[in-house]
This record gives sequence, C-alpha cells and structure tokens, in this order.
Amino acid sequence: MIVIDGTLKQRLAGWLLAAVGLLGTFLLIEAYTSAQRAAGRAYDSQLQAASLTIAEAVQWQDGEPIVEIPAAALQILATDHQERVFYTLLNAAGQQITGNLNRAMAKSLGDAFSTNPMWKFAQNRGVRIRLYGRELRSAGWESSEPVQIWVGHTMSGREALAKELFLGTLTRFLAMVALTALLSILAIRMALQPVRRLRRTLLQRKANDVSPVGAQVPGELYELVETLNVLFERQRQGRNTLLRFTADASHQLKTPLAGLQSVSELALLSNKPEDWRQALQTVHDSSERTSRLAGQLLSLARLRHGTGEIHARLNLTDLLRETVMEWAERDTAQNHDLGLAVMPDSPLVISGEPWSLREMIGNLIDNALLYTPAGSEITLGLKQSAGLITLSIQDSGSGVSNALLERLHQPFERGGRQDTAGSGLGLAIVDSIAQAHNATLQMRSEPSQGLWIGVQFPVLSSTQQHSQSEQT
Amino acid sequence: MTPYLRAGIILLCLLPIVATAQNPTPLIIEAALDLKIFTPLLEAFEQAHPDIALTYYDRSTLEVNQRAQNADPAPDVVISSAMPWQMALVNQGLAQPLDSDAARNWPAWAKWRNEVFGFTFEPIVTVYRLELARHMMPPTTHADVHKLLSTHQDLLRGRVTTYSPTGSGIGLMLFQQDARYSPRFWDLVAAMGAADMSLENNTQAMLDGLTDGPYWLGYNLLGSYALQWARSHPELIVQIPQDYALVMMRMAFVHRNAPHAEAAKTFMNFLLGAEGQRVLAGDTPLFSVLPEVTGPYTAQRLRDQIGERLYPIPINASLLAFDDPLRRRLFMQRWAREIEILKP
Repeated sequence: MIVIDGTLKQRLAGWLLAAVGLLGTFLLIEAYTSAQRAAGRAYDSQLQAASLTIAEAVQWQDGEPIVEIPAAALQILATDHQERVFYTLLNAAGQQITGNLNRAMAKSLGDAFSTNPMWKFAQNRGVRIRLYGRELRSAGWESSEPVQIWVGHTMSGREALAKELFLGTLTRFLAMVALTALLSILAIRMALQPVRRLRRTLLQRKANDVSPVGAQVPGELYELVETLNVLFERQRQGRNTLLRFTADASHQLKTPLAGLQSVSELALLSNKPEDWRQALQTVHDSSERTSRLAGQLLSLARLRHGTGEIHARLNLTDLLRETVMEWAERDTAQNHDLGLAVMPDSPLVISGEPWSLREMIGNLIDNALLYTPAGSEITLGLKQSAGLITLSIQDSGSGVSNALLERLHQPFERGGRQDTAGSGLGLAIVDSIAQAHNATLQMRSEPSQGLWIGVQFPVLSSTQQHSQSEQT
Repeated sequence: MTPYLRAGIILLCLLPIVATAQNPTPLIIEAALDLKIFTPLLEAFEQAHPDIALTYYDRSTLEVNQRAQNADPAPDVVISSAMPWQMALVNQGLAQPLDSDAARNWPAWAKWRNEVFGFTFEPIVTVYRLELARHMMPPTTHADVHKLLSTHQDLLRGRVTTYSPTGSGIGLMLFQQDARYSPRFWDLVAAMGAADMSLENNTQAMLDGLTDGPYWLGYNLLGSYALQWARSHPELIVQIPQDYALVMMRMAFVHRNAPHAEAAKTFMNFLLGAEGQRVLAGDTPLFSVLPEVTGPYTAQRLRDQIGERLYPIPINASLLAFDDPLRRRLFMQRWAREIEILKP
C-alpha cells in the first residue's frame, strides 16, 4: 500500500524556509546591533568634537578656570537632528564651574569620574541622554588643576539613524528572501525534473516490456532505477521459465498422445482381436503414464505457484517410515530393494506440510526406481547434525556425471537418459518442495556408488517452535 | 510706562464676542510682547475662535522666564524676546512639540525641534533725534556710532541710551551678538561708557527718553517698537544699521505642562498660519517671517530694502551659549571693565 507522505517539493521548500528563517533571524539580530553600533559611533564622535571645542576655550584666570562656551560646540552637540544638549564643566573638587545640567546630576557625574574618558547613558528629566566626559589639564599661571568637561545630548538622532540603517538592511533582506523564494521554486522544479522524466518513461512502457529501464538519472535515483531493473530482470526470467515450462509440458504431453494415436490407428487397420487387445493394453499403459505425467505437472505447477500454506510441526521420522513402507508395498517397487537405514531414536521434528513432504519422498523413491536397473538397492535415511536434519536417499545405480548434477533439478531433465518412463519432473518437484520448507537439495554421485540425494532441513529453534505452535 | 506697570492682567475674554460661547476653554499666555502692539493678532484670534477664552499677561522677559519654570499651573503658551532663555527652557524639555501643517511649513531657520518658533522678524535699530543731525552726520553704521561718540564726546555726554545688560534679557543678548561679530564692539562700549550713557530696561523707556529728552541717540532698540513710535513722532529718525543689522525673533512655545494644550496648539497654529501672519504683517510692526505673506511688515520686504545685511539671530543650540552663566559673568566683567576704560 502506498502512503503519500507529503511531497518532495514541500519538504525542500520547508527546509529551505527553515534555513532562510534561521539565518535571517541571526542576520537581522546582527543587523540591528550593528546599526545601533554604527549610529552610536557616528554620534559619539560628535560628542568628542564638541568636547574638544569646549576644551580649546578653557583658560585660567586668577587661579580659576574660565571658559567662554563656544556657540559652535553646542551647535555640534545638537547635530542636524536638533538634539537637546547638555554640558557641564567641573573643577578638581567636582564643583560645577558652569553648565546647564542640574546640580545633582553634575555632582554624580563628578563623583563617578576617573581620569580616563568616560561614556555614559543617563536619564535626564525622563529622557535618555548620552554623555561623554573627559579630563582636561591645561596650563595656568597660578595653578593648573584638571577640569572635567562633560557633554551630552538626547538620542533621537541615534535612534533615527539606527532605524534607518536597520530598515535599509531589512528591506534588502526581504528583497533577498523574495528572490531566494523565487529561485528556490525554480531550483526545486529543476531538481525534481529527473523524477518527472523517469515517471514519464515508466508510464510510456508497454505492459509486457521487461527490458531494463534506460534513463539519464541523477545519482540519488540510480538505486531506484537499478532496483527496478532487477525487478524487471526477475520478471523476465520468471516469464522465460514459465514459457519454457509450458513448452516443455506441451512437448511431454504430445509425445504419449502421438504414440496413442499411432497405436490406435495401427489397431484400427487390423482385423484381429489379438491386435486390438494388445493395442488396448498399450493404450492403457500409455494413458496411465500420461495421467501420471499430468498429475506431476499439476503438482509442480501448484508448488511453483507458492501458495504459502501454513506449516505444522511434524515428526519427520514417522513420516519417512510410513511413506517408505507404503512405497515398498507397491508393484513398481517389487524389482528393487527398497529400505530404510538405521533411524535415530528420538523423533526429529521439523516445520512442514505433510502432504507435500510425502509427495517429495515419493518422488525421490519413484525417481530412484525409474532410473536404476532392477535389483538395485535404494536406501533412505535420516540424520541430525549441527543445525541440520538431512533426509537422504542413496541408490546403487550407475550414477550421474558431475556436469549433469547441476541441472538435475530442472524440469524435464532426465540426466541424459531416454530409456526410462520418467517424465523428468520428479527432482524438479523435490526441489520446489524443499525450497518451500527452507531446505536445500544436495546431490552427490560417485562413479561406482550411484546417486546420493540429500534434503537438508533447518532444525527448529525453540522460539521458532514456539511461534510455529502458536500459529497452528 | 514700563513693562512692570503694564504687567497687569488684561482679560481679553471680556470682549462681547466671547460671551456668546457656552463653555469657553481658557487659554493662558505669558508673554514678553507689548500688548498694545500685539492686540490686532489677539483680536483676530478671538474672532476666529470664539470658543477659547484668552488671557494675556504682558510681562518682562525676566518674569516670563521665571513663570515658565515655576508657575503652577503652568502657562499654556510662553512668548518671549529673550531668545537664549526661551531656548534654554525648550532645551530643558519644557516645551511640547507642535505637529501641524503650520508648524511643518514654518521655515527651518526660524524653529527648533518643532517645539519653539520664532514668529516675528524685528530688526535692531539705532534711533536719533533730528537735533543730532543738525550737529553732526547722523550715524548709519556701528562704526559711525563709535566715531560720533569719539569725536563729539562732550556734546553727546548723557545723551546716549541703550539697553541695560543686567536689567533686560534682550539687551544682554544683543550685546553678546554684537561682541560675537566684531571685537570693535568693545571700543564702542568704552566710548559709550565715556559718554556716560544711560541704561534702560526696555525699548519704550528709551523711546520715551528720546522723545521727551534728554536722549539724542539710542543704540540697539527694537525696530518694531521704534518704527511704530516714529510714525507718530517725526522728530525721531529710525536708522537700520547699514553694515549689519541684527534681527531679533520673538519665540513662542506650548508649555509641556500646559493645562489647556489643545487651545494652546490652536493659538500657535493660528499664530504661525497664514491668517495670523497676515495680521502680523498688516497690522503690527512685528514683521511676518513667512515669505508668502504680503503686507507692509514682512521679512521679505525688509530683506528687499536692506539686502543681505540682515543678521537674524539664529534659532538653534548655539543660542544656549549666551545663556551660559560663566559666559554671561565673563561678559559682564568685561562690560564693567570696558565701560570704565575711557571715563575721564
């Protein structure tokens, strides 16, 4: 089931927005503080200039500092913004020589002063003002005590300049954000174009087209396309297998049917009842074989279909014993020495489906009966080793060459033998059943010892046993 | 008739037109501006705003300055010709800004912070009697005054008058401006001291002395008063100095603690608006500042007549320097020194 979890566009846009927002916040905070700083610096230098102008006017007369406050100094202090201006001159004892600051404030300034220039923010009659104080040492005839010069002004100019600078930055930033948004939309469209192209390519494919997808894709989509191609390849193989199987099955059915036709035609040409009887006998045998072939084809198809039946826990020892006993009683087994090897004492439990396992053992026995000469020994056994339960069958026939071993489990493979009534489906069925039980099929053939086939089942772990029992 | 005597309370709200209003808003104006001269504007305002009951106190600059700082309740509008003091009050934050079209349209050189506005344009003049012209070339420049005082010392002794720098805020300001422009001003002070000048506290006193004796020559009179006075006193000649003429501006602001701020702003808008300025230009000798206003008394007309020699005292922070106590003290020390230098 496909759950739509947003769109790539939304994700990209969301993250871009978050990034721009976060960055923008920092940027604007920085812009705000730097605007304040820049405005502060610009206006502080005015304070310094005014202070300097006043300092120039300080003179000593009769042991007292005197100063004719220069009008220009106050004009500089006021700036273009027509700030309210404040100034005071204090003598060494901290007393006001002159100025327009109120006494209390002048005194507090004098008390707080050290010899280094000082910058201060202060409240004056409910208005924030910026103050600059410095000490002046100038020469006099009688004395030369230091004089403190304090100048200050209101802050509307600073605030206006800071606001102007900040608004400028803000405007530029917003324009940038708008531009970024526009470019982001374009970028997202461009970045997602390969996805759209790939979708178009996939949509245009024909239903039975299983060739690999050839498309120009970015690295991120390579894996997706690669996975698709693997899927297509599997689909192609599955289809090929199916076609081959169908072709082979048709061929296998056609041969006995053709035999039936020719036998019945020959019989019809004869007038002798003996010939008819013999032909009928042949038809009977042949149809029996054909029916068996059809049955095997059906069960192979059913197994290949993989309906995923629920497996139950079963005792493989009992199952093997019962099946071998049943086969030993059949007519077909009368010419062979069919038997069981020494069985383990404890029951061997695996997870499996009794019907198909019986079918598998039957096929193994049937296979051995068909491909070994009369009188051969066929021995089935069961063994438990580390983590594996091995069900094996050993015959004393002529064996199979190593090159053929590999192909033996493919349908319609008869191991190079055309002299038997086998359909070539037996081992294919065994293989399918083994796969359905997570078991592996192993085959060995020694020139003088015939063929050994083992089916290795995994031993149930305790948890598996538990979960399996719960499922049943 | 001194300002102190005239400082009585003149209740213009007694005018019949005001009586018709139901509940007139009071409006208190403290002004250092002669009521006689300013009446046309006040009447025009009463007519335009019958709902405002205006009370106008005509006081000296000193009193206005004190009342602006200490009066409780505070006055609504403060008008004074003592420009540094007005500036200092505004710098202290005693004014509230005026946000109106009239305030915005007001020329930038005649306002500060949109809080205080110079609304008149009064040249500072020299006034002499015709008798003086009979004995000597009448002065047209500051240098002429100095030369006359030096050359006709005996004739002019006791016949020269000017502002008292201690008794009048305007006087001190004018002398400080003079000293700012030329160091030769102190020669003039010394010469005046030698001529035993008389110091008066206001222009009217000087004009009275010029009309009724004993003065022949008055230095640094307010042109507004002098021009009007001279129209009815033909024996007096008003001379706008030809080298440089200071121009004084009355400054008005709405008090920060004005109890009737709305009425005060209405008055200011009227005063600074075209209508008020038209009255100033037409019916008072105060001269309108607005360039677009026409009438016999406008700054523009004065400029056309006198040219570029008009030096309006700038309304900006530099005015505060003239209110600096130490600078004032130093000035007065020097004044006292200079005035004695040439005394026989």
